Amino acid sequence: MRSAILLVCVGLGCAPVDADDLGRALFAGCRACHALDPAAQGMAGPNLSGLLGRRIAGDQNFDYSPAFKQARARNQIWTRERLDAFLADPEAMFPGMWMTARAIADPVERNALVGFLADPKAR
Amino acid sequence: MDRRRLHKTIVAAGGALAAPALIRPANAASESPFRVWYYPVAAGMGSRDVTPGPDGSIWFCGQRNGALGRLDPRDGSYTLINLGPNAAPHGVVIGPDGAPWITEGGQNAIARVDPADHKVTLFKLPPKRPNVNLNTGAFDRQGIYWFTGQSGIYGRLDPKSGDMTVFDAPRGSGPYGITVTPKGDVWYASLAGNHIARIDLKTGAAKIIEPPTKGQGARRIWSDSKSRLWVSEWNSGNVSVHDPADASWRAWKLPGGRPRTYSVYVDDKDIVWLTDFSANAIVRFDPANERFTSFPSDKPNANVRQMDGRSGQAWGGESGNNRLVVIETFSAAGAT
Repeated sequence: MRSAILLVCVGLGCAPVDADDLGRALFAGCRACHALDPAAQGMAGPNLSGLLGRRIAGDQNFDYSPAFKQARARNQIWTRERLDAFLADPEAMFPGMWMTARAIADPVERNALVGFLADPKAR
Repeated sequence: MDRRRLHKTIVAAGGALAAPALIRPANAASESPFRVWYYPVAAGMGSRDVTPGPDGSIWFCGQRNGALGRLDPRDGSYTLINLGPNAAPHGVVIGPDGAPWITEGGQNAIARVDPADHKVTLFKLPPKRPNVNLNTGAFDRQGIYWFTGQSGIYGRLDPKSGDMTVFDAPRGSGPYGITVTPKGDVWYASLAGNHIARIDLKTGAAKIIEPPTKGQGARRIWSDSKSRLWVSEWNSGNVSVHDPADASWRAWKLPGGRPRTYSVYVDDKDIVWLTDFSANAIVRFDPANERFTSFPSDKPNANVRQMDGRSGQAWGGESGNNRLVVIETFSAAGAT
């Protein structure tokens, strides 16, 4: 829905939605379980500070599901491309993962969220 | 119903007719009072929250394919109802009108599906409440639908007028499971907030009650026949019970090395049914003798996120395996 508004607004000559704002808005739904402040621990989901470039299942203080532990054993890293693919269909990438996460079909939204998560200053 | 006609109906809806599979528990001798059945549903649908319909069917949510399903347990056939573009249903309960009511997170709306013609009616959240991450709903004794949103809200919907009010949850993000007690009180659990809360039905204000285990991750909540609140604690791996009558708490750790208690359901005999993701199992707890009985799934990654049932049947959705599961309890005289 947000991407449709963005496109319609562009078509009508409106100012485009800022990608940072869009990414921040999309992350709002994740905040119930995830934090970007490295000091925030003990939440239902892993801390996501420094996610880009980090090993998958890389929060040392978090008890990951078997699906993510298997991914960690493969020493894969979160890149922009991998994170984009994950957000497009989380369960396809990690079948059996414990988190319920809705797929984000819109590539504009995914790009905005990846950009937000990649920003080391994002909180 | 004619089996060939039923088969056509299911094929048209996209579901393959599949016979349910009966699995006997590993420890089952002929004296076991339990039988486990699995019902395959559509591949990739992420079959999760379930609720029994008044006609014997089981309604279930397909969070990954945006459909509400209706299973006929007599033969395992099912129908899928498309809830709309970008739909991602989370929870389903039966309303006083006999219809399934759904927390439809994908469209940020409460959805009602007419059981006769499958018409979908959406009650969208106000525009100033986008993407609340709708979780679970429950009807109070006056027929008002109460719901939670993990982003930090809870709300009420009057099904007759369509009037909706959304409240900010105290302590923000977290509202998850919700239940109504026989006394008529409405309670919800807050996973991120690590507490349970009672809603004042007149004012809408929520009063926090702190469980004794800090950081416990209260995820789901279910009332028993005495209006005591049973809580599944995701972080601690406990099941706990709070009695508002005397403000008491008791807690038990589920068996195993590192349990992760996702859901709780209390049946009509006050038996407590839990799901443990670490053990990949449904776990039955009898408060009378404080005994746990575990029912591991026969497949990995079952991920049963919620349970509901009818007398003698405890149902769940294996979201990781796209199956529904039921554990039937039998007495010497038959199903209890």
